[in-house]
Amino acid sequence: MVGKWQLKDHEVEQRLFNRRLATAAVLIFLLFFALILKLVNLQISQFEYFSARSDGNRLHSQYVPPARGLIFDRQGKLLADNQPIFNLTVVREQVVDLDKTLNLLSTLIPLSADDIEQFNTRLQRNRVPFSSVPLKYVLTDEEKSRISVNSHLLTGISIEPQFVRQYPLGSLTAHSVGYVSEINRDELDGLSEEEKENYGGTNHIGKTGIERTYEEILHGSVGYEIVEKNNRGQVMRYLDRTDPVAGKNITLHMDAQLQKAAEEALGEFRGAVVAIDPSTGGILAMISKPSFDPNLFVTGISSKDYSVLVTDEINTPLFDRSTNPYPPGSTIKPFLGMAGLHHEFVDYEFAIQDPGYFRLPGVSYRWGDYTLRTVIGGGHGHTDLQKAIFQSCDTFFYDLGNRMGIDIIHGFLAQFGFGDNFAVDISYARTGVLPSREWKMASRGEPWYPGDTINSSIGQGYMWATPLQLATAASIVANKGKVVQPRMLKAVEGEDYKPFIENPVPDVMVNDPDYWRYIEEAMTMVIHRPYSDEFRDYGTAFEAIAMADRDMSYRMAGKSGSAQVVGISQEILASTDIVVSDLNKDHGLFISFAPAQNARIAPQIAVAVFVENGEHGSSVAGPIAKAVTDKYLLEILQIDFASFEDVGELQQEITNPLVTQSND
Amino acid sequence: MINQDFIRQTTGFYRPPSRVQKIWRLIHTDPPLLVGIILLCCFGLFVLYSASDGDEGVVRRQAMIMLAGLVLMFAVSQFSPHFFRRWAPSLYAAGLALLGLVLFIGVEENGARSWLDLPGLPSFQPSETLKIVVPLLMAWYLASRPLPPRFKHLFWSAMMILIPAALIIIQNDTGTAIMVAMSGIFVVLLAGMRWRMVFAGFFVLLSISPLWYLFLAQAHQKNRILTFFDPYRDPTGAGYNIIQSQIAIGSGGVYGKGYGEGAQSHLDFIPESNTDFILAVLAEEFGLLGVLFLICLYLFVLIRGFYIAYCAKDMFSRLLAGSITLTFFFYVFVNMAMVSGLVPVIGLPLPLISRGGTAILTLFIGFGLLMSIHTHGRKRTN
Repeated sequence: MVGKWQLKDHEVEQRLFNRRLATAAVLIFLLFFALILKLVNLQISQFEYFSARSDGNRLHSQYVPPARGLIFDRQGKLLADNQPIFNLTVVREQVVDLDKTLNLLSTLIPLSADDIEQFNTRLQRNRVPFSSVPLKYVLTDEEKSRISVNSHLLTGISIEPQFVRQYPLGSLTAHSVGYVSEINRDELDGLSEEEKENYGGTNHIGKTGIERTYEEILHGSVGYEIVEKNNRGQVMRYLDRTDPVAGKNITLHMDAQLQKAAEEALGEFRGAVVAIDPSTGGILAMISKPSFDPNLFVTGISSKDYSVLVTDEINTPLFDRSTNPYPPGSTIKPFLGMAGLHHEFVDYEFAIQDPGYFRLPGVSYRWGDYTLRTVIGGGHGHTDLQKAIFQSCDTFFYDLGNRMGIDIIHGFLAQFGFGDNFAVDISYARTGVLPSREWKMASRGEPWYPGDTINSSIGQGYMWATPLQLATAASIVANKGKVVQPRMLKAVEGEDYKPFIENPVPDVMVNDPDYWRYIEEAMTMVIHRPYSDEFRDYGTAFEAIAMADRDMSYRMAGKSGSAQVVGISQEILASTDIVVSDLNKDHGLFISFAPAQNARIAPQIAVAVFVENGEHGSSVAGPIAKAVTDKYLLEILQIDFASFEDVGELQQEITNPLVTQSND
Repeated sequence: MINQDFIRQTTGFYRPPSRVQKIWRLIHTDPPLLVGIILLCCFGLFVLYSASDGDEGVVRRQAMIMLAGLVLMFAVSQFSPHFFRRWAPSLYAAGLALLGLVLFIGVEENGARSWLDLPGLPSFQPSETLKIVVPLLMAWYLASRPLPPRFKHLFWSAMMILIPAALIIIQNDTGTAIMVAMSGIFVVLLAGMRWRMVFAGFFVLLSISPLWYLFLAQAHQKNRILTFFDPYRDPTGAGYNIIQSQIAIGSGGVYGKGYGEGAQSHLDFIPESNTDFILAVLAEEFGLLGVLFLICLYLFVLIRGFYIAYCAKDMFSRLLAGSITLTFFFYVFVNMAMVSGLVPVIGLPLPLISRGGTAILTLFIGFGLLMSIHTHGRKRTN
């Protein structure tokens, strides 16, 4: 307490300090008060707003894709399965430098330019922010581990499991069952808002066949999941979940075994086989050959694979031959014959003397008999309707067709589904052409000429029909006029499916039901009428079917046909890879149903076979129909025909036609 | 004993210290302040446990630092205020020397070149020690001058404050420079600097601030100020911290989301949730009530600091105690105001709650000085 200190007035200084201290204390309280006001503003006045913001930060709704319904054949064999795969996915928002990341990825796993291009298209699509976009499907275990090891360098990249379609039978069901593939922009744009929502979690949609037709049943409904995500977009917790409703499992009428048998029976030929159960309309087999592996499309077909499929102009594996039209040729004759009977242009007694050609009155042009082209000349001689069918006599039908006129032909044949699509659930099937005056005027701008009728009478000219239509028409004959529209879907979730048909097709009514018996008999003769001393008095398919299988235990009704190849492009003609003459060959066709003329068992199967450039309907297409029928009746249904005692009697009836009525 | 009897008889107020009080005084510890500090530390560790997502290592390390701080505080309080007063100029000179040394051999960390890594010592920030040394020197300087200080004293005071502050700014650590300057300015204000001079200085600062903004301010500083006025001008960049911290605070409501339930903090939406923005975690999980509780704890410590300054027996002690308490408040307020969006973001931790190292030790040295002032002064006056 010396020196300067004595100059200070301690009392005054302490009071000054205390005042300052008090001022500071007041300021502190004021500042804390201001702070508390701010907190009250944030935590009470704006609580709702910030709560919502906080939830918006962390809560994310995400779609849970439903499991796609499985597809079974009639025996319960899987035709379309769901298999887990692992995909490489990208959340764009989390990737800082996409190009750098993709470069790094391509050093770890094979990543083609194609993969990246497809990925970029997927990125362009409408999508929820922070959703993952597939970059590469189906990672191998080794690829997965390489990605995992480097995951710290790959923010925004993850490996996600996914269930995708798998078709165990591969190319066997490619056209009929079809396939699913990634939804494209157009398909997405075509969906309603509600449907779009339903496809929120789904990458795939049915593109063809059953997969497309029954997309709604198979797809199911999307589920939702409320998840909590952190700052980096990782899911931390699952908070709420609306389960997806899995798509329904469906069962087809199709029989995988029969499908396989049909495919094998076609052998190296290009062509199609359609088999229908006449009593239910169920399609037992429907194949088109050559085919392709539908599994390729599921995870995005590479452009290389795709170009192989589309550039093959001869095999055209993507082209469904079973639902595309060809000239039906002589297979049309039984229906024309029925038209003649019904409209009373012929009767059982009516016969012509066939010189081997037909000539319109006053016209010098001769319509030759195609069937006789390659064999010795001359006609069939005395020919009634049955003979005209089993010998496939063109002249008889030129005459009949000419007398009936196109209007009657059109009107009658339309009842069998020609020029129309009777199928309940094969909407993509083509209708072919059942020509008429109106049709020709509308499409060609020309009037109908009598010569057009002549060509149509043997299933040529403007007449086009699909193998599916031929099988349908055959099944109507097998049913004696009762129309059961063909269908693929047998049951949904094990319950029989009864489709709602808005305009059911009426049955084919004829003046005398015996006409059915008569036509069936004629068609049975095609296969079973043996060689005899009579000139040209055997069934056209006898040699290839009944003679080839002398132990054949059932009867089959059928009709062969061959159709001229209409056009081959110059390009193909110039090609050296293929013997052009092969492509010039006629298409071979065959329609059949069996068992025929059986008092105990109604026909179980109607088959149409189309063999592209098969040349002969009877010798090439016929045995294929026989093989398919055998497989179905003897192996799948395991019908023991020998146990029916009346088989012997029936064999008698071939030579002595009698009225037989089956008791179905 | 004679003295005590005399006081009791003349005033009637004197209560002899109990035995317990005697023991506390003997070890130079102020129980209320100690209780306040320990409560804050415990609450801080509790919040940090949640903020660090249950990382026990972080909490254990923080607890160890706090224990070391308590020991340091105890050690500091053993010396009388006169010891510090005597040594103030030397400590200041030493502090400046260390700052000078940093200029040459400083180590950079988090953008600030303010660390010294001397052999045999743990690395530390000399600038931190200036937070104590500057008020010490200012209290030493002004206590022996007539108060209120005259202009020339103020001028020298300004020099003594600005030299270390400038050295720290050169190290690119503006936050610490502001704190060091404030700790000195508080002494000057408490010493009774005339209000007209205070306001004059304030207006000078205000009028030159646009010039600072235009010519001197660095890009990130400008950004912080712009962000303060409109956080949404860059919601995912500069404004992200403040937006997310306001969401955390606001969504906490009155009662909070519950301990460990803060979605904003546990899902990593709040950056710096262990350090500068820990208040957002607290406010989210404990709501307005939790923040009010924390403010009460701080107020308790502040009031005790004010009481110690009020009771101090000489001007040096008063000025020092007042400055330490106000600096503590400044810390608390600036951090809370910045996290809730009341002032621009300045990188300052929340005292005793945020995770930290040297800064916590500096706080405890300050508390040690307060205890020293409170427990040494009494003996002499009697």
